[in-house]
Amino acid sequence: MLEHILSILIFFPALAALLGFVVNKDSIRVYGIAVAGMEFVLALVLWGAYDPSIAGMQFMERMDLIPAFGISYLLGIDGISLFIIILAAFFTFIGIATLPNLKNIKNLIITLLFLQMTMVGVFAALDAMIFYVFWELSLVPMLYIIGAWGGEKRIYASVKFFLYTFAGSLVMLIGMLFMAFFYFQATGVWSFSILEWYRLVLPENIQLWLFVAFFFGFAIKVPMFPFHTWLPYAHGQAPTIGSVILAAILLKMGTYAFVRFSLPLFPDASVYFMFPIAILAIIMVVYTAMVAYAQKDIKQVVAYSSVSHMGIIVLGTFALNVEGISGAVFLMIAHGVVSGALFMLVGVFYDRRHTKLMSDMGGLAHIMPHYATIFGIMMMASVGLPLTINFVGEFLCLLGFYQQSHIFTLLAGTAIIVGAIYMLAAFKKVFFGNVVHEENKNLPDVNKKELFGLIPLVMIVVWLGVYPKPVLGPINNSVESIVQLMHDKAVTQEAKSVIPDLTKKVVISETIIEEVR
Amino acid sequence: MLQPVDISFESLNFITLAPMLIAVVGALSILIIDLIKGGLDKTIYVMISLLFLLLDLGTLVDFAGMFKENGTMLGFFNVILIDGIAILGQLIIVVASMMFLPLALTSKRFHEYSNPEFFALFLFMVAGFQFMVSSDNLIMIFVGLETASLALYTLIAMHNRSHSFEAAVKYFTMGALAAGFFAFGSMVFYALTGSIEINQIAVILKADDYANIGYVLVGTTFLLAAFSFKLSLVPFHTWTPDVYEGSSSALASYMAIVPKIAAFVVAMRLFEFLVHSGVVWLEVMLYVIVVLTMTLANVWALVQSDVKRMLAYSSISHAGFVMAAILIGTTQANSALFLYWILFSFTNLGAFTMLWVSRQKDLPHGQNSDHPFSKFSGMVKTMPLAATMMALFMLSLAGLPPFGVFWGKVYMLSAAVSAEYTVLALIMALNSAIAAYYYLKIIVYMFMKEPENCGSVYMSNASLPLKTVIGFSAVLTVFAVILVNPLLEFITPLVYNSGF
Repeated sequence: MLEHILSILIFFPALAALLGFVVNKDSIRVYGIAVAGMEFVLALVLWGAYDPSIAGMQFMERMDLIPAFGISYLLGIDGISLFIIILAAFFTFIGIATLPNLKNIKNLIITLLFLQMTMVGVFAALDAMIFYVFWELSLVPMLYIIGAWGGEKRIYASVKFFLYTFAGSLVMLIGMLFMAFFYFQATGVWSFSILEWYRLVLPENIQLWLFVAFFFGFAIKVPMFPFHTWLPYAHGQAPTIGSVILAAILLKMGTYAFVRFSLPLFPDASVYFMFPIAILAIIMVVYTAMVAYAQKDIKQVVAYSSVSHMGIIVLGTFALNVEGISGAVFLMIAHGVVSGALFMLVGVFYDRRHTKLMSDMGGLAHIMPHYATIFGIMMMASVGLPLTINFVGEFLCLLGFYQQSHIFTLLAGTAIIVGAIYMLAAFKKVFFGNVVHEENKNLPDVNKKELFGLIPLVMIVVWLGVYPKPVLGPINNSVESIVQLMHDKAVTQEAKSVIPDLTKKVVISETIIEEVR
Repeated sequence: MLQPVDISFESLNFITLAPMLIAVVGALSILIIDLIKGGLDKTIYVMISLLFLLLDLGTLVDFAGMFKENGTMLGFFNVILIDGIAILGQLIIVVASMMFLPLALTSKRFHEYSNPEFFALFLFMVAGFQFMVSSDNLIMIFVGLETASLALYTLIAMHNRSHSFEAAVKYFTMGALAAGFFAFGSMVFYALTGSIEINQIAVILKADDYANIGYVLVGTTFLLAAFSFKLSLVPFHTWTPDVYEGSSSALASYMAIVPKIAAFVVAMRLFEFLVHSGVVWLEVMLYVIVVLTMTLANVWALVQSDVKRMLAYSSISHAGFVMAAILIGTTQANSALFLYWILFSFTNLGAFTMLWVSRQKDLPHGQNSDHPFSKFSGMVKTMPLAATMMALFMLSLAGLPPFGVFWGKVYMLSAAVSAEYTVLALIMALNSAIAAYYYLKIIVYMFMKEPENCGSVYMSNASLPLKTVIGFSAVLTVFAVILVNPLLEFITPLVYNSGF
């Protein structure tokens, strides 16, 4: 079974979703929890069976789909994708478990299971076309979730989300087709396998163009400044579960794709664009942090802070050294846990009062002490308090980029301080002071169902903040081989000097050739 | 004294006519059956037509095998030319026709299907299109085109609504103009080269090194205009939405596929050699037409309030997308054309059939057209399965992976990229993004709004055969990825060995 565990992880939720159509709508919630729980257990089995000492791809599966055009069903994971898959399984699980009573909940749960298929698919795919299929397919369930269960302007928000990402991905698709064509020119066979592409050394000017084409697709998804405008709408209108999945997993697709595609495929272009992207990332960090400070709606604060932290991830990724990239991948997990938890917390209050405005809150610490405690922990994690999960990632990202530029790192560092300001200000408005609204006086504290989702998240935040090694180890191992691959592939002298030489054997490409051939 | 014409029967190679003759015989036998015993139910005519088309298909499959072994076949005074693209074109025509026929078996009674002439004309039309694609001779192409078109005009008018008459007359007038253009363009080429065979024209023009380039351009322009009418390319597309709206959804879905593939095959024969011979003007004209057709049709589709008109504009846009293959002109592009069209035909059939099953005989109060967007609002709450099907077809048309049309799009884009038409590829890709908006519009209505009617309307015209057609299209649309490789392996050698 372990040889096919990735396929099972991908298609089990989809199959369960199809069967879910038959399940009675009163029982669907338990069905959804059971399925997502099984999926989560499978993901843990995957972790258990994963060998952290191997840096290359594991659990590879391969089947020809369109041999005439070089498209094959190629799956595999390394330390980078492993934890995001587990995170996706985990969040779907607690997301379904903590769903409030919404109308048409059956459709929602079936949609979430389909969404889970696409999420796992994106992170497990090693064939660019299969990756693209899941990448695009993930838009549809999200479109439905935002559009059907969202707020007042839900249709506008969902269509904007769809079209924005769809347009960006199409440019990326052209890039992929070019890449496949260059591979065809070099070798005489069509292939969309990323692993085969890794072995292709491209001249710098071609790298630059392809990098830009891929960048459109990824940057819109992350979303990077100035392509971020769809995100506040999507978050603002989406139901809690939509925001949680969007922030925790879907946005990670973009940053993951940078690590999986842009860096190893175009090392010279990555060096060339390092500073322009770093500037965008820093604008993104500082600007959205300031915007977050100006929000009246607590969900928008969380949304903008989520964009802001994505900026640090991008910065770490483009540090192009092991510390930076490992930190970025770790921060992806951390950011997923923390911002997912924050959106859930906002949802907890929304379910009780149906408002997200901070002016409707105030003094909640008196009424809902447990809620305030958990919110406080998550918020501290979000601003990067040492011994919480975000600190590890942010520290490594900044440490990595410090080797490239001191000024930029300093700027990004100040942004974290701004982050602390708006978060603490928001916390003060919501939880401290007197209870000014009569309606808030009798609000119940977090109930068991919500605690079931939140307590594990708190535990992860503290556990990985204190002892990140079980996650950071495998990530580091795989990132090292990517950095080495980039160093070996770089054609210009400048890139060779920027990307460190680890004098390590590249494990990726060798296992690959063995496994694939 | 006149010499007696001495031609051996074998040299006529009558077998090449077999597929068309089967369709013609089918049409005649329907008429004869009606003469012997009138007043029969439509089901018998549907089944008889299906049987004849099945025979037709059988001979074509046989031809495909023969082509693999012996190469191109000529027949009937070398007027009939059976090469790879002729076989592919005919296969698509016959299979699409076979999928159209069950749509006549609606639960409501519609005027046209009670006349056996409908089915006879239909088979004549199929034969006409088959003649059109399997000839190199401009006169034969013309005859085939007109046979098919005249039959099609009548089929539209037989729907017996005032809109249908309007549509038929509009189509007829435009078609007649196109026929005039075609005749004039052919005349110019005949005057230049003394031949009406396309390959001869190519050889002679090349021999004198395109000395009369001015006349070549005039002839090309007329022929391009004629085919632009048939393919509904901008700016010759104006008839399309009106004609689609006036005809039944079933026939509209047919018109979006079959006449166009026939015209594409002829366009491939005509324009490929001109594009490759370095007639730069043609390349520029085609480039402009392709880009305009894709973009403008998409923009017009955005503002439609009726789903059928929206689909009409979308089919114009798809035709423009595929026309890019003629411009690019590599084997990969031409294979992509057939692949795209096959995958598109299933999805398109499914989408129009969804409209067809929701056809009401009388419009309810306050509704101006058959399928306004508002009719579909909240469909998921009343008819979840039907709404999911419709959404599936729309997503496929939008080019969302892994559904059918996506693979056609990818292969076409890849052909553009490989031939270094980078800007064109980008325009094509961005057009898909524009198109996604109007396909999403109906999904938004179906999934995100509250229902306005009780839901029975969506299946009011449904019957088992229609549901089967929808299910069949849906399965092919979803599992298209499995079909792509066998299709490519079948199409590419046929196209390549025909010299395209």
